[in-house]
Amino acid sequence: MSVTDELACSEIVELVNGYLDGELPEDLRAAVEAHMARCDGCDAVLAQFRATVRLTGALTEEHLTPAQRDTLREAFRGWRAGP
Amino acid sequence: MALVDTLGPSMRRVARMYVSTDAVADEVVQDAWVGVLRGLDGFQGRSSLRTWIFRILVNIAKTQGQREARSVPFASLAGDDLGQPAWDPSAFRGPEEELAGHWISLPFDWRGLPEERAGGAETLRAIGAAIETLPPMQAEVIRLRDVLGWTSEEVRNALDLTETNQRVLLHRARAKVRRALEDHLRIVSEA
Repeated sequence: MSVTDELACSEIVELVNGYLDGELPEDLRAAVEAHMARCDGCDAVLAQFRATVRLTGALTEEHLTPAQRDTLREAFRGWRAGP
Repeated sequence: MALVDTLGPSMRRVARMYVSTDAVADEVVQDAWVGVLRGLDGFQGRSSLRTWIFRILVNIAKTQGQREARSVPFASLAGDDLGQPAWDPSAFRGPEEELAGHWISLPFDWRGLPEERAGGAETLRAIGAAIETLPPMQAEVIRLRDVLGWTSEEVRNALDLTETNQRVLLHRARAKVRRALEDHLRIVSEA
């Protein structure tokens, strides 16, 4: 048994993104998968982060440009204030 | 020019991290494009074109920030919460308890929600709003990685981040967006 067999759920949640991005070393990756197979809570967390990444990927620039809206708002204020 | 449209909004936001006003950020972006056109012959293809363009942008933006005597500590861009856990620690058994660090109550499992309710326009707006509230560097890392699909190598080269910083910034950003998504989907599931 290696130490990675003993990972707690509170540690797994910190590894989930590294796992999703394929960045974990082999022993950690295997430990995370073994944990997921027997832990419904962590499996749900993995699904949550997977959905988060997938839905974030569905965003377009229109969801992301507060600065341009601010510029519009300033232009509007300037227009109302008059020359 | 398609590249200007694609990269423009991100370039403007990144420039704005280092300089004081939107107008100066726009000038920095323009100067960066001039630099790109001048240097294009020398572009070695060792990094992706978009990464190289961002390197030019970040250099000009940092120089301009120094000229404005505007010191921007990394912590103010990255946020002061990078060491925070991704999950509320109270969800887990304490260190003295049996099964320390394991779930006290299982997390909300939203896999049962119908896709048309979970993945609709309101959900995307909730995610966009959550990203807007992130510290600027966390926001830009998650935009480039998860919205625009850049690789971690491209992002750390473009934004001049270490591998660890890039990873931690993305982890922290996703943790907060996930939290906002959970809050949103709880409301959806109860509606």
